[in-house]
Amino acid sequence: MMPGTETEPKHMDLAESLVSYARKEGADEVEVAIVGSTEFNVDIRHGEIENLIEAGSRSLGLRIIKGQRTAYASSSDLSKDSLHRLISRAVKRADLSSPDSCAGLPAAQRFGHNIAALNLFDPQVAELSPESKIELAKKTEHIALQDKRIVNSHGSTCETRIIKTTLANSNGFSQSYNETYCGLSLGLQAGQTDEIVEDYWSSSKRHFDELETPEDIAARCIARTVRHLHPRKIPTQQVPVVFESTMTSWLLGFLFACVSGVSVYQKTSFLQDKLGEHIADNRLTIYDDGLIPGLLGTTPFDSEGVPAQKTAVVDQGILTNFLCNTYAAKKLKLRSTGNAEGTGVAPHNFYLEAGSTQPDQIISSLDKGLILIRTLGHGLNPVTGDFSRGAYGLWVEKGEIAYPVAEITISGNLGSVLRNIDMIGNDLEFRTPICGPTLKIHDLMIAGT
Amino acid sequence: MEKPTSALLTGDIDHLDLDDQDYQKILDIALSQGGDFAEIFCEYRLYSFINMEEDIIKETAESISLGLGIRVISGEITGYAYANDTSPIKLKKAALTAASIASSQEKHKAAPIIPEQPVHNAYPILQPAHKKSLEDKIDLVRRAYMAAQNYDPKIQKVKTSILDMVQHVRVINSEGLSITDVRPLIKLTCFAIAEKHNQREAGYHGGGGRVGLEYFQEDLTPERIGEEAAKESLHLLEAALPPAGEMPVVLAPGHSGVLIHEAVGHLLEADFNRKKTSVFWNKMGQQVAKSSLNIYDDPTIPYFRGSYNIDDEGTIPQKTPLIREGRLVGLLQDRLSAKLMQATATGHGRRQDYTCIPIPRMSNTYIDKGEYDPEEIIKSVGKGFYAHKYQGGQVEDSGKFTFSVSSGFLIEGGKLTSPVKQATLIGTNIDILNKIEKIGHDLQFGLQTGTCGKEGQAAPVTDGCPTLKITRMTVGGQ
Repeated sequence: MMPGTETEPKHMDLAESLVSYARKEGADEVEVAIVGSTEFNVDIRHGEIENLIEAGSRSLGLRIIKGQRTAYASSSDLSKDSLHRLISRAVKRADLSSPDSCAGLPAAQRFGHNIAALNLFDPQVAELSPESKIELAKKTEHIALQDKRIVNSHGSTCETRIIKTTLANSNGFSQSYNETYCGLSLGLQAGQTDEIVEDYWSSSKRHFDELETPEDIAARCIARTVRHLHPRKIPTQQVPVVFESTMTSWLLGFLFACVSGVSVYQKTSFLQDKLGEHIADNRLTIYDDGLIPGLLGTTPFDSEGVPAQKTAVVDQGILTNFLCNTYAAKKLKLRSTGNAEGTGVAPHNFYLEAGSTQPDQIISSLDKGLILIRTLGHGLNPVTGDFSRGAYGLWVEKGEIAYPVAEITISGNLGSVLRNIDMIGNDLEFRTPICGPTLKIHDLMIAGT
Repeated sequence: MEKPTSALLTGDIDHLDLDDQDYQKILDIALSQGGDFAEIFCEYRLYSFINMEEDIIKETAESISLGLGIRVISGEITGYAYANDTSPIKLKKAALTAASIASSQEKHKAAPIIPEQPVHNAYPILQPAHKKSLEDKIDLVRRAYMAAQNYDPKIQKVKTSILDMVQHVRVINSEGLSITDVRPLIKLTCFAIAEKHNQREAGYHGGGGRVGLEYFQEDLTPERIGEEAAKESLHLLEAALPPAGEMPVVLAPGHSGVLIHEAVGHLLEADFNRKKTSVFWNKMGQQVAKSSLNIYDDPTIPYFRGSYNIDDEGTIPQKTPLIREGRLVGLLQDRLSAKLMQATATGHGRRQDYTCIPIPRMSNTYIDKGEYDPEEIIKSVGKGFYAHKYQGGQVEDSGKFTFSVSSGFLIEGGKLTSPVKQATLIGTNIDILNKIEKIGHDLQFGLQTGTCGKEGQAAPVTDGCPTLKITRMTVGGQ
């Protein structure tokens, strides 16, 4: 039995009985997912506990298809009466949708992965005591506050989550798996009253042993915060820009939104007609891989029960696949890539393959340019590929970091950025589900004074 | 005091099947380790969703959210536990979990529960969406869809959806308070894509708030929502990217309220000031802007998306002045910050749902009207940028903020000229407050579809402002 979730084994029985119930009520196809989770979260600020949250919860999601018409429902009230009423209403409600020839569950498929080999569950995370989590967060902040340059703290947080996912459908699929997450994070401020700068650092893993230590997190967070001190404004200009690996992640996050099969069939992606075409520099290869053991984006199957896989999205600059759920795949006459998440798609481990250049060599190659270290705001438009965001950076002259810059914006178009890559770093680290190495972009527009 | 006479009050929170005695017992357990304050937040929420795209009603969805959160405060420490299994054993366990952050010898007992009523009704609606048939709502969705689709042959793609919900909330605390609110919320949105010579642009429009379906007959018809979305996408087909650099900026009334939300609102939330992370923490009472600037947050405006009859801690909310005649005069307070800062709770303690701790939040935030004629403001700019519609914004405690303009115009010789798209404006809040040079007399509010995020919690909000002239601001473009 999984610690902290003593009622969970019943979820499979419940899911299967609801599938039968819905079939009896008149549904052609039914899918029931139940997620049970145990959450712990402690925030420490100035050495004291600020918030401590501990809870167990569960929720159920339901898809009914009747005469090619779809209805969805969900509930956190898992009493049988309430769920039976929810199902009956969903079956009736399906009649009000329009018939859609692409509606339907994935065909029955054999389930091939060895869940244990994916290494998603760490008993150590499940067994970690509240006291030790409080201690980790306290230690992280304490180390950082010893540094004289740090003037205030947003606090540190330690969190753990244990999740059990159960999925059953009327095509005979019936599986469940357990997973764990743990995280440690810190936010700091430096500088004087009207010139405050701030930054954050965090580590998130499935396995406790892999979590960055309080010492590492404090050191990274301090370095990231103080490097913003005494920023200057720079004139508006077009210059080479180096994306730190965390910035490559946001660029790839934007790309993910544009290679989502759902965006493509909805005509909201600038890449919609580009399958098989050269969209990026030849050195660019991007995968979505749900099967790398132990990583944050790894999963045995998606929210429809389709097995996760490794999909080449961009192969040496050529757009080779869109990431699809079953519905988008039918619409586009492609195969599902096992990326379903509700009615949309979600990335597994979506990453840009590492190149061969050291990040510091990339920086020293800049005669004059900007290292992009953080962005702010929302300006992403998947329909056109245009982006425009507030930015923080480090100005580089003759290969050396000269000073930090603030109150600038960067703007460009994802399509042209992908074709204008100068250098690719060798520093790929799977810190987040979407990740990539340091990148040098030939030039980007920076708005300043 | 007038009691709310809404068609909504049906006592559905009793789904939880708990009475005052049960609540009292839970509160006593929650205080058993020496906490100073304990509270139970009960929530029962029903959502309904309809989505139309590719000319068909693609799917409908219904969602039920039921649960309660138990909070214990001891000094500055908060313990929190939540459950959606409301069996006595689970609730006792949750109360003990929340209680465990306290360790005081001095044990408090919960005061006897005395039910109270909200003092105003911000949602005096006639046709609550959750009581209307799905067919009625499908009709609204279809009408908006058709209006966008038929607006122009260049419209290639339309997506329309309606989301309505009713949220029953009850707050019971160890000071004896027991108070209930039943909040309706509805949002009808349309997204349209226009295409010309292989170039595509997206437009968006929507409306709603804490309204009934009558709103879509009288205030904002589905046809209008569809047409506005289509119009925006067509407008953007003709738009160029803006020039990059520093220039005078005029902000359109209504939508530009997002500037005030980001540049000022967040940093006047009490928690950031109590923790001294906001740049405003030591500026109370000081002149931070020109004396023509007045900023308010008012959770009591009828029908607005950000309104409520009680906040999520049971406090009766009040219209709260934040900046008056350019002076910083108020903060958005929840119970905890008010207590620690020896201030009065203003009724701005909000939470996304029962799984979340309440924190100080905005509701409906706006810059009050000034004396300038909007035409005159535009005329006063030789060369600059007019920001019309937005995608959103973000701010950091240090005061740096951005907001993303989805459409606007160039100003040349005191006139709006070429349409522009996709620009980011960036600034620092104290600096920008001082650069608000002229304030129009045309106060308007933005779309009733906005959601604000803070610490991972989403909350419905509205913001507004009149036409504003900013002396200079960095505009990001090509």
